[in-house]
Amino acid sequence: MTALLDIRSLNVDFRTPRGRVHALRDVSLQVPKGKIVGVVGESGSGKSTVIWTVTRLLAANGVVESGEAIFDGQDLLTYPEPRMQEVRGEKVSMVFQDPMTSQSPVLSYGQQMTDILYRRPEPDAEKMRRAVEMMRRVGIPDPESRIAQYPHQFSGGMRQRAGIAMALLMDPMLLVADEPTTALDVTMEAQIIHLIRELQREFEATIMVVSHNLGLIAELCDEVVVMYAGEVVEHGDVRDIFYRAAHPYTRALLECDPAREMTRTRLLPVIPGDIPDLHIKPTGCVFAPRCPKAMVVCRERQPDAHTLEGGHATRCHLLDPGLAEGPVAQAEHTAPEAVSEGPRSSGAPLLEVDHLSVRFRIMGALKARVKGVQEPFVDAVLNASLTLKRGETLGLVGESGSGKTTLGRAVLGLAEAHLGNVTFEGRDVLGLSPAAFKPLRRDMAMMFQDPVGSLSPRQTVRALVTEPFEIHGLSKGRLDEEAERLCDMVRLPLNFLSRYPHELSGGQARRVGVARALALNPKLIIADEPTAGLDVSVQGEILNLMGELQREHGLGYLIISHNLPVVRHISDKLAIMYLGRLVERGDSEAIFARPAHPYTEALVGGVPQPDPDKRRALVSIEGEVPSLASRPSGCEFHTRCKYATERCRAERPGDTVLGDGRIVTCHHPLTD
Amino acid sequence: MWWYLLKRLALSVVIILLAVAALFLMLHSIPGDPVSIALGPRATPEVQAAYAAKMHLDKPLYYQFLIFAGNVLQGDLGSDVFSNRSVALTLSEQLPYTIALAVAALGWAALVGIPLGCLSAIRPNSWLDRITGIISVGTIAVPSFLVSIWAILLFSITLRWLPVIGAGEEGDILSQLRHLILPAFAVGLGWVGYLARMVRASMLEVMGENYIRSARAFGLRPRTIVFRYALKVAILPTITLIGVGFGGLLSGTVFAEIIFSRPGVGKIIYDMVLARNFPVVQGAVLVTIALYVVVTLIADLMVSWLDPRVRESL
Repeated sequence: MTALLDIRSLNVDFRTPRGRVHALRDVSLQVPKGKIVGVVGESGSGKSTVIWTVTRLLAANGVVESGEAIFDGQDLLTYPEPRMQEVRGEKVSMVFQDPMTSQSPVLSYGQQMTDILYRRPEPDAEKMRRAVEMMRRVGIPDPESRIAQYPHQFSGGMRQRAGIAMALLMDPMLLVADEPTTALDVTMEAQIIHLIRELQREFEATIMVVSHNLGLIAELCDEVVVMYAGEVVEHGDVRDIFYRAAHPYTRALLECDPAREMTRTRLLPVIPGDIPDLHIKPTGCVFAPRCPKAMVVCRERQPDAHTLEGGHATRCHLLDPGLAEGPVAQAEHTAPEAVSEGPRSSGAPLLEVDHLSVRFRIMGALKARVKGVQEPFVDAVLNASLTLKRGETLGLVGESGSGKTTLGRAVLGLAEAHLGNVTFEGRDVLGLSPAAFKPLRRDMAMMFQDPVGSLSPRQTVRALVTEPFEIHGLSKGRLDEEAERLCDMVRLPLNFLSRYPHELSGGQARRVGVARALALNPKLIIADEPTAGLDVSVQGEILNLMGELQREHGLGYLIISHNLPVVRHISDKLAIMYLGRLVERGDSEAIFARPAHPYTEALVGGVPQPDPDKRRALVSIEGEVPSLASRPSGCEFHTRCKYATERCRAERPGDTVLGDGRIVTCHHPLTD
Repeated sequence: MWWYLLKRLALSVVIILLAVAALFLMLHSIPGDPVSIALGPRATPEVQAAYAAKMHLDKPLYYQFLIFAGNVLQGDLGSDVFSNRSVALTLSEQLPYTIALAVAALGWAALVGIPLGCLSAIRPNSWLDRITGIISVGTIAVPSFLVSIWAILLFSITLRWLPVIGAGEEGDILSQLRHLILPAFAVGLGWVGYLARMVRASMLEVMGENYIRSARAFGLRPRTIVFRYALKVAILPTITLIGVGFGGLLSGTVFAEIIFSRPGVGKIIYDMVLARNFPVVQGAVLVTIALYVVVTLIADLMVSWLDPRVRESL
């Protein structure tokens, strides 16, 4: 098997005001013809730097110190720019992470695609025909008319399909996919994975997939390269990596993935510590500071590559021949200890949401009258009812656009409810004036989605965590004490108090967010995607911290997320939302064990498993979320439901209470 | 799109009406009785009463305003206090000069400033970028009346290349163009720097966007990337800026028209303020406001034509 792309001892630095960052050190990897190779790593691992180095699109401060990238027999790194321009798009093409920002917002797909074909000596009409054909091939319905549309007129999944169409247009020899599903919902992710696999077979393409998502890598790839802090720590066949991982980092990473944990434990495994500062070239093994099995030699000398059977290789001192008697390990990386399940939920409900509806106006009153639109609104939340007790965690799950965030905001009085009631500790809180609501906000706190973006960039951590006190005019003069107390609580070192948000890692910024939410000892925390954008190894820390704080303080959590595996670990109860309605509610474990609503079943089945032997042959859910402005008749899920009958199309289902107390809104609940 | 156009047109009418009201009130807050000013101190009370009745000055304020607003909407801006000539007629003679000057000034500024901004954004910190930066700050900082005087000194008096005064022979396009060069240069110079800086800043931002990186990864030509992918987005804030800055440009033309003794709305306003010929001043200000509203509307329509997202959200 010849390698189409052969990267040999690549060293890349970034020049920064604080000195050089050694972003890639001695990186070697091969992409054989006709294979899908996955490069997996967390943020800061250098996996994207590899792509940008190979395509020669590194940021201006990136410097290739040494190394080769042999593509089809020639070193790409020696190409002059005009020649490189011929390679890009023509021989090496890319699928990008976020289709929303990686496609021009002001040019139609037709224009963007004919632009890519500019090298073909054929008339524009022929280019357009090619583009339409490719759009059809990637599963975009009605491509003839949709090709004239712009990216903002496409849904997220369709946009990524169009992105794939653009990449395949020139029939490239190598396709590089950079986090191709990260910006998508689970159901869309499954469809895209399926599409890439199908296209790979059809075009016999060679694909390099870069991702942090182990599930995606396991489902898609033939070979896997694991990167950590700018080095390749292990590579091998996908089964070698997922079943016989030799490097402690690979093992730890696999253990951290909540999708892998089949039993519901309260504590998630984590990799303690942070990624090392790459301003200094590490002298020993780069993972040693975080490695549970680190030995003296690990800190002194860089490990050599050890080849195991079948091309599986790793860089770790544990495999040094002198250590035949086995590692001088401290302790095995144990499964997390079980946490005593104390008296958790108790007493009267903390929060009750009763038949809540939230609607948004989509056009002005005058325009609606002129256009003859009776109801110029869309219902973001329809008739939603929830109950949350003290010390309980409720997971609110749904695809993007399901209205879950709006529901959370309506509870906090940040979005205006149209109908229904919200009761907090027995008190009706809906429709209170902002002044009347203000004291309530001490008891109800929000953790916002984007950990760094929701913090003011010009304030120190001290100012940020004490801001809630100032807003409510509390503890004047004792703010420093409070700041230290909160830092302790979220286990943030005290010297972080004088830092600014941009100096924090994602996990640290999230801790600040937790501290802000906890500042006033609230009773209820509404957390919107609490782990979005965090690395798996850090995600566990935040979830564990949240769980611990809940046990200590009896907090009630309303967790809004599209990430089912995460929600599953921390929730007592689940509510599944589709098009603004709750379709299934009940005990978390029961729902996961036997989903009753077909949508829940599809969501549970849609999560890619970090297990290469459990690849799904079929996509669990077809199609897209319908527009809120045109809700399907009858059961709103019938357009995507594989069990749908005539009755589902005609009649809206009522709530059915199952034996275990679950409420499901379906004509044909899946009970066996 | 049509809905948006309709909405914007209605809004423009409202703005102009508000301007009319503001002008009307300002005029009435000027101390002194219009009747005694018009007829002089020796007019008899009978004559004064007859004049007041003729001019509707005996009616309540709102009634006077309605008459005024009605006349304005019909295109009647009143008449010159001295010559009794229709103000609308006077202005319609003067307006083309001002518009020609403003368009010429903005036109050459855009033709130079936008490419300069583009080029310096493509190669930030190159020598071209540095020189553009210096030119930008220089031209923004120097007031246009100073530029006018220097330009006259250099090009007309020392070099004797271009005429100094007036707008050229009526009917002779070439002569009019030659007379337009210096004032347009003087008025537009500040805009060169302004536009270059603006375009540079938004180009730099757009060039860092993911879709520019995608276009490069698909191997598109640098030229296509800059002009089709980047400039089309980067130019949007600049268009809005030009629309808003048009008001400032109009006040810039006042200086140029005075210094070059060119006919034009600015010159009229200046002369008539000195002569206390208020109907003409009032009409000229109103026309200027209307011009401003129209230009802003055109700028917004251009943005929505270039950006499908804006078009959609209307």
